[in-house]
Amino acid sequence: MARYLRNPLTAVWALLTLITFLAFWVGAGGEGQQVDLAVTALVLAIAILKSRLVFRHFMEVRHAPAWLRWSCDGWLVSFGVMVLALYAL
Amino acid sequence: MAADSGVVPTGRAGRVPGEGSMWFFVLGDFWIFSCYFACYVHDRAQSPESYLAGQQLLSQGTGVLNTIILLTSSLFVALGVQAARASDIDVARRFVTLGGACGILFMLIKAWEWSTKIIAGFPAGTEDFFLYYFMFTGLHVLHVCLGLLILVLVWRELRKDRPRPMFVETGGTYWHMVDALWIAIFALLYLVR
Repeated sequence: MARYLRNPLTAVWALLTLITFLAFWVGAGGEGQQVDLAVTALVLAIAILKSRLVFRHFMEVRHAPAWLRWSCDGWLVSFGVMVLALYAL
Repeated sequence: MAADSGVVPTGRAGRVPGEGSMWFFVLGDFWIFSCYFACYVHDRAQSPESYLAGQQLLSQGTGVLNTIILLTSSLFVALGVQAARASDIDVARRFVTLGGACGILFMLIKAWEWSTKIIAGFPAGTEDFFLYYFMFTGLHVLHVCLGLLILVLVWRELRKDRPRPMFVETGGTYWHMVDALWIAIFALLYLVR
């Protein structure tokens, strides 16, 4: 099993874990939080990056045909645009 | 066995990883969740202070812990897929078992989180936020339950003499979808301001 852990996927997992802590550091706060577009946009960008890493590496979309790569990226872009547009309206 | 070659096979370029029908379901599910997310963000924008007040009652640390548990389970399942492709079946089964164990741990922590929220009650004005909180996390836990069932089927497949790597890949695709959905839910419920 150890042989499999020495794998690029483990590095992807470490990166995902690291940016999860980054999102926590950016987004978590104590009492008296205010509406904050910059924090929201950054947290959203991190979530989209994380999902893309899961798609491309764990789900192996990076080796997939173009239609599947574009479907996954299209959903990520539409998710980000939709959330920010509705948030800012 | 390919286990001694030192090379772990990855997916072949230009082919769909797993069954196409599973991808149809996965992409459809993402779009359905997008509609739910749109409702949530729209309603949240109408009274952001009350949603922030509810959000502050959540434990972001618990959300981070559960995120890392699901990411770890995804890693195990992805490694299980590679082991199955390499005909390293015992190792594949162990990785799938570890992935499922992380899924169960995720649900136990979620159940504990729900119980603390229900026991503490919901202050006036935070009901709408908690309605969405229970809807999103509840729907997601249903996906985790189905994912665990699929991992059991994958595990059984890996007990056969000649397990089909495609079956393992397809189960993995569903399991990673559960992880990706949680990443979006975690950001929207726990972290956005």
